[in-house]
This record gives sequence, C-alpha cells and structure tokens, in this order.
Amino acid sequence: MIAEETLVKELKQEETQAKAFEVLVNTYKERLYWHIRRIVLNHDDADDVLQNTFIKVYRNIGGFKGESKLFSWMYRIATNESLTFLKQKSKKLGVSDEELKNTMLENLQSDVYFEGDEIQLKLQKAMASLPDKQKLVFTMKYFQEMKYDDISEVLETSVGGLKASYHLAVKKIEAYLKED
Amino acid sequence: MKKDKKNSFNTPEGYFENFHDRLMDKINQEKIEEASDVIPKTDGFSIPEGYFEGFNEKISSKIRETERGKLVQLNPYRKLFYAAAAVAAIFLLVFTPIWKSDAAIAFEDLASAEIENYLNISELDMSSYEIAEMVSLEDIELNDVLEDDIEDENILEYLDENVEDIEELNLDYSDYE
Repeated sequence: MIAEETLVKELKQEETQAKAFEVLVNTYKERLYWHIRRIVLNHDDADDVLQNTFIKVYRNIGGFKGESKLFSWMYRIATNESLTFLKQKSKKLGVSDEELKNTMLENLQSDVYFEGDEIQLKLQKAMASLPDKQKLVFTMKYFQEMKYDDISEVLETSVGGLKASYHLAVKKIEAYLKED
Repeated sequence: MKKDKKNSFNTPEGYFENFHDRLMDKINQEKIEEASDVIPKTDGFSIPEGYFEGFNEKISSKIRETERGKLVQLNPYRKLFYAAAAVAAIFLLVFTPIWKSDAAIAFEDLASAEIENYLNISELDMSSYEIAEMVSLEDIELNDVLEDDIEDENILEYLDENVEDIEELNLDYSDYE
C-alpha cells in the first residue's frame, strides 16, 4: 500500500492528482461506505453521502495539514456528512429527529438490501435508542473493529471517554435485546 | 521488590513480567464473548451486486460534472465581480464624504440589509454546527443557531435530570443576586 504522506503529496499536485485520487477512493470506499451506511441505514442514502464525502475530500485536500491521519480526517468528514444528511432529511420532511429514526427503522423492514432477521432488526432499534455519540462509538468498535486510538482521532474524544461510552452502549443494547 | 524467602515454589520465567498483558487480553476476550452471546456479530446489511466496482466511475463523472459547472458559471461572473468591486471602490472613495453629510443610509448599510434579507428568505444549506463555527458566540443567542427554540423550562428540566453536582455548572451567582 502506498504511504499516506506520499499519497497526500500526490493528491495536492495537479499532474498526479487524478491517479492518486483513484488510489484514495479504492483504498477507503468500502470502509467509509460501511461507516456511513450504519448511520443512515439505507443504501441509496449511503451512496449519496459517500459521493459527497469523496467530493469534499477532493475539494479540500489542499487544506489538509496532516495534523491527523488522512484516514481519520476522511472518517470525520464522512461522519459529519452523514449526520448533516439526517438533519436535512428531517427538516425537509418536517419531522423531528426521533420521528425520522422511527421512519428509518420502519423502512428497514421492507428494504431489499437489509437481510437481517428479527434479532438484527431489534439490534437496530436498540442502537437507535442510544445517543448519537454512543451509537457511533459502538458501531466503530463492534462492527468496524477500529482501535480506540483511531476512534479517538475521528471523534476527538479521549480514549478513556470512548471506553466508558462503549461499555455503556453494550450494556444498554444487551438490556434492550434481552427484553421481551 | 523483596523476595519471599520462605517460599519454595517457583514460577515459569518471565511469568510476572507479562502478567498484566495476559490478564488484560483475558478480560477483553471475556468482554467480547460476554457481549457476543447477546449481540449479533453481523448487522444484516447488504449492497447491490457490483456496487463498489462501479463506484469509481460514478465519483469521477460527478467530479467532472461539478468542475465543468464551476468553469461555465463562475468565470464570467468572477470577471464581472472584480470589475464591479473596482468601480464600487472608486465610487466609495469619491462619494463617501458627501454621503456622510446628509444621507441616512450608507452604502455598507444597504449591502448588509440586502445580505440579511437574502439570508432570511433563503433556505441555507448549512447545519447549525457550521453556522456556529462561523459566528462568534458573543454575537448570537443560543436559539439563533438551533432549528427548534429551546424554552428555559426545557433547559432547567435537562439540567435537573443530567447534572449531579450543581457546582459543575460554574454558575455566575452575581446574576441571581
């Protein structure tokens, strides 16, 4: 795999930009897709947000100072884009965030790209009941198996705080799943 | 550390050196097993066939599209904008003293009124987070950046439920005297 510093340098130079951007998309599209998908739930929405994320990355790479890892920077953009997308969606539909969450869960049951069984549907409901940050930490740790250090860079939260959030999220989800 | 001289038992070499690491591994492993008994390991999402293979082309054409849009629309206006800015600058230099003497509305006032009006009637494609980043906190009230107003009652209810120690709030008591 190409070193991150080299890739950033190539992304900033006009003559190497196109090729480097292709490498960037190939390297991160799947990971970012699944991160976004777990926030917006629906495939078409995830596709829109993923495209917007890469366009933002392409336009703003000139301003990337390398203070954090490229990977964390992109994850941050993807997270913000996803949450903003949901905010705008609830605004457009004229519903509250809570109502939007319920609609998203209802739609999931008829979604052709959701093959989950009853327990997986219940898991989604349990996750929807968590505060945004706890839900993010849980999906990043449990499903994406990210390291606390990496999550800490993306969410700009201390590792200790993340561990506490994750522990709380697991407890709440377990309790929800054990309910009848 | 002092050795226990009465103890005739022995331990494998390096046993205590990596004890902490092994213990943490075991605790973490138990935590994972404990959670995975109840929480499913996969979340049931799937994607259309060939989605990732076609993604690169999709994103390249979208970037080309937006770049073209920029070239066609922005460049002529940008030239006009520079010309207008130059004329406005000269205009301001020459006429400002005269305006100051008798006019109630200055050029700058008119411009900000226009901008304010535009912002009021347009649907801004910005999140409250982005607005909050741009405007300094001293200039705005909390409700200016929120989509739904927060009533004082809600704030008090929130604090009542979520704050355990009132000292944490660092309240300025002079406001209540």
